[in-house]
Amino acid sequence: MPLTLSFLGLRLRSPVMVASGPASHDVNQVRQADEQHAGAVVLKTACSDRFEEMRSWPRPRYKMLDWDRQIAGRSKTFSLYSYEQGYSGTLEDYWEFIRVSKQHTSMPIIGSIFADVPGDWARLAEKVQENGADAIELDISSPHRPGSLGFETTFIAAVKAVVASVTIPVLVKLAPGPDVPDQCVAAEQAGASALSLCNRLRGIDVDVESERPILHGYYAGVGGPWAKYYTMRHVAEAAQRVSIPISATSGVMTGEDVVKYLLLGASTVQILSVILVNGWESIGRINAELLAILERKGAASIEDLRGNALRNLTPSEQIIRWSGEPLDGPRNVWKP
Amino acid sequence: MSGSHSKYPGLPPLPPPFAREEPPVAKVIEEKCIGCDRCPPLCFFDSLFMESRPAHPYGKIAVVVPEKCTGCGLCFEACPVDAFLWVPGPRRPPGKEVANERH
Repeated sequence: MPLTLSFLGLRLRSPVMVASGPASHDVNQVRQADEQHAGAVVLKTACSDRFEEMRSWPRPRYKMLDWDRQIAGRSKTFSLYSYEQGYSGTLEDYWEFIRVSKQHTSMPIIGSIFADVPGDWARLAEKVQENGADAIELDISSPHRPGSLGFETTFIAAVKAVVASVTIPVLVKLAPGPDVPDQCVAAEQAGASALSLCNRLRGIDVDVESERPILHGYYAGVGGPWAKYYTMRHVAEAAQRVSIPISATSGVMTGEDVVKYLLLGASTVQILSVILVNGWESIGRINAELLAILERKGAASIEDLRGNALRNLTPSEQIIRWSGEPLDGPRNVWKP
Repeated sequence: MSGSHSKYPGLPPLPPPFAREEPPVAKVIEEKCIGCDRCPPLCFFDSLFMESRPAHPYGKIAVVVPEKCTGCGLCFEACPVDAFLWVPGPRRPPGKEVANERH
């Protein structure tokens, strides 16, 4: 099977995973992901009890920005504006969610948690492991709580606390931003098994008529196909700095997007917006597109692609340059 | 605020005025619905489905199950004819207000 790969010691039938979010919030969704042959599912993030308010969401909580309703799901430039925060049930519900998901599917199930103090991170992580998850993702960079985590203190302490508390692989999900490469190195040094790059950006949109920020009136997560180039850069930068695997996530709509992330050094990708707008069949479609690209390129395995474009990255000093001036010199004559 | 000439066709940019007191859920305006099948696939919470209505000009319409609707707003975005509106939805039983759909 050309799409199968080994990721964190787990056998994945495809590099395409479902990202933590509205498409991984209940067992029926996990079942659909399984039927579409997703590689794995990262469950919706469960928050510690100190963030209980994040289990309740405003109504409405989603808005498609730059969404062309006439072409509906074929739109490639939209942004999913969302203020959906943590998993909406209790922690007990979440442990059962993990157990039921594991019981009825054969793919790896990855729990996702958010907390603040290291003790809570560790306690939640232990429960995620205890209830059968194959790995755990630390949503340390939610677009809904940026800045609430001091990097030097809380971030490093949280990763270390979780790593010390569980034996399953620990993925650390980072927010996009200028500090990504250094944060990746710090996460690796703190013992992370893998990186998820990147969370959605924190954004805002305004209704011009009422002069109010739209929907709930506050910042929200933004993401979509337009954000992928930025994340691709982060993946490329990180892949050159760390030796742990990278799960890329941002704006994947097609098999070609997946291949680009793999070529830039990612091991797997996580998708979400595309499922929301084009349905669960998107997973099967992207898998089929991946197979077709592998065949076209004559690659025997998806793992043969990893990092190939990185080797072709041209350092600034080696970029071939020619004069930017025309032969007859600079255009310094002002023409009235 | 909604409509094809505004900046935000589809979902209105602001929640309905009653959203402070009552939890909004989506409702299909039957006369406007053209039975185009676009909204059910976008509903992630299995709370929207097509129902046969032989008397309706299009023979079928979309129907929201208020008990399952989480008021997310996606169906408004899927609708090409702005056939959705917000109505007050059912409240959870006391003690269960925080949780959304269980499984």
